[in-house]
Amino acid sequence: MKTLIYIALIAGIVSIESVLLPHVSLWQVKPDLGFVAVCLIGLFGGELEGLLVGLALGWAMSLFSAQDVLSAAIMKGCIGFIAGLAGRQVAYLTPPLLVVGLFTVSCLLGLMTPVILRLSAQQNVWWALWSVVLPQAALDALIGGAVYWLISRYLSLDQWVSEYRI
Amino acid sequence: MRMVNFRLSYNARRVAFALAVILVLSFLLLPTQLQTVFQAVGSPFGWIISWPLQAVAGIHDRIAGVWDHYVALQGVEEDNRQLRRELDLLKEQNGQLRESAAATERLATLLEFKQQALPTLIAAQVIGRDTGNWYKTIILNKGTSDGLQSDQGVVTPAGVVGRIVKTTSSTSVVLLLTDPNNAIAGLIQRTRDEGIVGGTTHGTAQLKYIPLLSDARPGDRVVTSGLVGGFPRGLSIGTITRIDKEDEALFQSAELVPEVDPNHVEEVLVILPTSFPTEGERLKAPKIKR
Repeated sequence: MKTLIYIALIAGIVSIESVLLPHVSLWQVKPDLGFVAVCLIGLFGGELEGLLVGLALGWAMSLFSAQDVLSAAIMKGCIGFIAGLAGRQVAYLTPPLLVVGLFTVSCLLGLMTPVILRLSAQQNVWWALWSVVLPQAALDALIGGAVYWLISRYLSLDQWVSEYRI
Repeated sequence: MRMVNFRLSYNARRVAFALAVILVLSFLLLPTQLQTVFQAVGSPFGWIISWPLQAVAGIHDRIAGVWDHYVALQGVEEDNRQLRRELDLLKEQNGQLRESAAATERLATLLEFKQQALPTLIAAQVIGRDTGNWYKTIILNKGTSDGLQSDQGVVTPAGVVGRIVKTTSSTSVVLLLTDPNNAIAGLIQRTRDEGIVGGTTHGTAQLKYIPLLSDARPGDRVVTSGLVGGFPRGLSIGTITRIDKEDEALFQSAELVPEVDPNHVEEVLVILPTSFPTEGERLKAPKIKR
């Protein structure tokens, strides 16, 4: 059941990311829903779940992007794994703290991306920072915070985490 | 919100760490050729995901269609679209006629031309855009099952759109002309100087490696040179708006405005790879007059 939910989530995220989000982009930069989803899944589901869903989601997203399969899957998988580790160490998680955390991690990943993907010479770190990384991190953090606020408001997270976390 | 410290079962944690280590090692050590294996394995996965993708794209198109036709300017939008199509066709015809005239003038006295075959084209619809922010791509609703492959050229009647870089059985990813990672062989129509056309981070295109002695100037049209696969000779790429000539540089470069606005492309044509003659095939050996 959980696997089916994750497959549906992956299919939904890929569809929304490629069709609808270009219309709500900020300076032609759209939020990375996959990043937000993997972070939240890792945070609440644990390292293994974050890693596996991250791998699958990264792979699926790479099929509809020019990004190569390996780097996309590995980046998302590592994010899920790190989110799982972080979630285990955090005693109190509030929406503002999550927003700051998502913003920071998204910035770090965004700054590493031009190097990892071996983009063209024009797409250097400074260009990336101002044109892609900061707007995307801001959007990721806002969306992640909003989703977390909605989940925590309507679901009993402590109970859910204690029952389902691997 | 309180987060509880949970104990991860020993086996699950061990599996997670083992997977993480394998991932990092594979990222560092696996050869690039394995990309194709991963891509092939992912093709059925992509086929499954392409259904919801196309469904969302269909809903999006319907909503956009209703908005365009009934809410925004009603009939005017359709007239405008029709006129734009006609203008694109006329531009394309004009470009081809210019190219034909130039080629005829240069070669008529030397060669007997073989009739240039029109390339076979497959029509496809744009159903989405890149899932990330680092590449400028569009997603087409046709893939390997329709005969599409990597490196095939993608055009509209107005000109070049880009090149296919990835396919699944039912979808294809096209790297746009305006992406800085793209490279297409181009030719300045008036001066016959060749160069490489790539995108810029500003969303325009540039023609690089123009010879220093070239007298290219703003307003010159750039077309495909046909030297590299994917595109036949003479397809419109863009118009030069600025020439950049740096001191002590070995080449000039030029900024282009692409003929096709990639942000508003809805339908495209994909050029099949073996459907147009190469330069060698097109130019037969000259006949010796006796």
